[in-house]
Amino acid sequence: MSGGNDFDDRVLGEATGVGAPPPPAPSGDLLRAVDGMKPVRTRSRFGAAAAVALAGLVGPVIALARGPFRRDWPGLPVGWVIAAVMLWGVAFAASLVAALVPRRGDVLPAPSRASRVAAVAMAGLAVFALFATVDVPGLSMQPAERGWSLFDSCVHCIGTVAKVAVVFLVVGFVALRRLVPVGGARVGMALGAGAGAMGGLLLVFICPFASAAHVVLSHVGGMVLASIAGALLLPAIARSRTATATAITLALLALVLVGQ
Amino acid sequence: MSTEPEAREAAEVMARYCRGDAAAFHRLYALLAPRILAYLTGLLGDRAAAEDALQLTFLKVHEARSSYVLGANPIPWIYTIAHRTCLDEIRKRKRSRVRLGKGDEPTAEPAAHITGVAADVHPDPADQPDPSAAAGALAALAKLPDNQRQALILTKVHGRSIADAAMITGSTPGAIKQRAHRAYVTLRQILGRKELA
Repeated sequence: MSGGNDFDDRVLGEATGVGAPPPPAPSGDLLRAVDGMKPVRTRSRFGAAAAVALAGLVGPVIALARGPFRRDWPGLPVGWVIAAVMLWGVAFAASLVAALVPRRGDVLPAPSRASRVAAVAMAGLAVFALFATVDVPGLSMQPAERGWSLFDSCVHCIGTVAKVAVVFLVVGFVALRRLVPVGGARVGMALGAGAGAMGGLLLVFICPFASAAHVVLSHVGGMVLASIAGALLLPAIARSRTATATAITLALLALVLVGQ
Repeated sequence: MSTEPEAREAAEVMARYCRGDAAAFHRLYALLAPRILAYLTGLLGDRAAAEDALQLTFLKVHEARSSYVLGANPIPWIYTIAHRTCLDEIRKRKRSRVRLGKGDEPTAEPAAHITGVAADVHPDPADQPDPSAAAGALAALAKLPDNQRQALILTKVHGRSIADAAMITGSTPGAIKQRAHRAYVTLRQILGRKELA
C-alpha cells in the first residue's frame, strides 16, 4: 500500500499520539526500582530448552534402560525403525525448540511459529502412523491377546505418553512462566506437542501393539492431548501470580504418575 | 519505526541496563517511551490511562530484564509487554463496568472518547480539538474492533513488520495482514475515502 495511503498513515499517526506531547518522566516507583537495581544474569537462547529437555528425558531414558523392548522388536524392518525414530525425534526437537527457543535477534519464542511447527509435527506423525505402521506377523501383539479392547490398549498407551509429557510440561511451564506475555496458548501447544512426541518416541520402542488404529489413536492422540493440555494450561500459569504453587502442584502430580 | 541502527542501539542500551547501569535505563526510556505511549494511547484511547500503563510497562520490563537475551532487539519485546499491560487494563475496565453500586444499580465506568476527554464533560469550545482529519481518524479508529485496531496501529502507525506485529500480539502473520487490511478498508469507508489500489 502506498501513494494515497501515506496521507492516511500520517493522519493515523497524529490521531494516535505520534508527535504528541512527550511522555511523563519515570514514576517514583520506577525510579526507586531502578536506583536500587543490581546486575542481572540474562537468559541464553537455548538455556530453557536445554533445561526442559534434560529434565524430561530422564524418565524415558530410565524406561528404555529398564526395558523390556516390544515383543516384535527383532522382526521390525530396520528402515522403518530408523524412519519412526527420526520422525518422532524430529517432531519432539522441533516442537520443543519452537516453544522455548526465540529466533535469533528475538527475546521471546514466536507464538505463530510455535503453533505452526506443532500442527505440522502432529499432522506428519498422524499420516505416518496411518499409512506406515508396520506389523510383524506372529510377533506383534493384538490387544485381544491381553484380553483388552482397542480402547483399553489406547488408555494404557495414552497413560504412558502422559507420564512422559507431564514432566516436560511442568518444567516447561516454569521455564516459560515469564516469557509468554501473549500467545501462551500457541506456545503451550508446541510445548505439549514436543512433550507428547517424546512419549510417542518411547512407545516406538516399548509398545507391543502394532495396529495403525492403536498408534494413531493413542500415540499420536496422546501427543494431541498433551498439546491441548499445554495450550490450555500455559496461558493460565504464565499469568497466574501463584505460578510457582501451580507448577509445584503439577510436579507432585507428575511424581505420582511416574511412580505408578 | 525500527531500523537496524536503532535496534542495535536499543540492544546495546538494554545490555548495559541488565548490567545495572541506571543511565542506560534512562536512555532506554527516552528512546522508547514516546512510541510505547503512542501505542498505548491508540489502544486505550485515553492518554491518562496510557501514561499509567506506560509506567507499568517499564516496571514490568525492569522486573523481567533477566529474561532478556543479550544481543536481541528489545523493541518488539517491550511492545509485547506493553500490549499485555494494555490487554490487562482493558479487561480490568470491562470488569469494573459491571460492578454493582450500593442500590444494586450497575455503576457505569465514566465513558471517555478516544481522545481521553470524558464523554459527559463539555469543555470550553476553545479547548476542543479542531474538526480536523486527525479527529476524524480518531473517531473512526474507536469504531474498529480491538484486534483490527491493534494490527493497524502496529503496522501502519508504528511501522512494525508483520512478523513483529504477530509476535507483539501473539497472533499469526496472516491474521495480522488480514486484520490490518480490514481495518484499513473500514477506516476508509468511515472516512468516506475511496480505496486506492
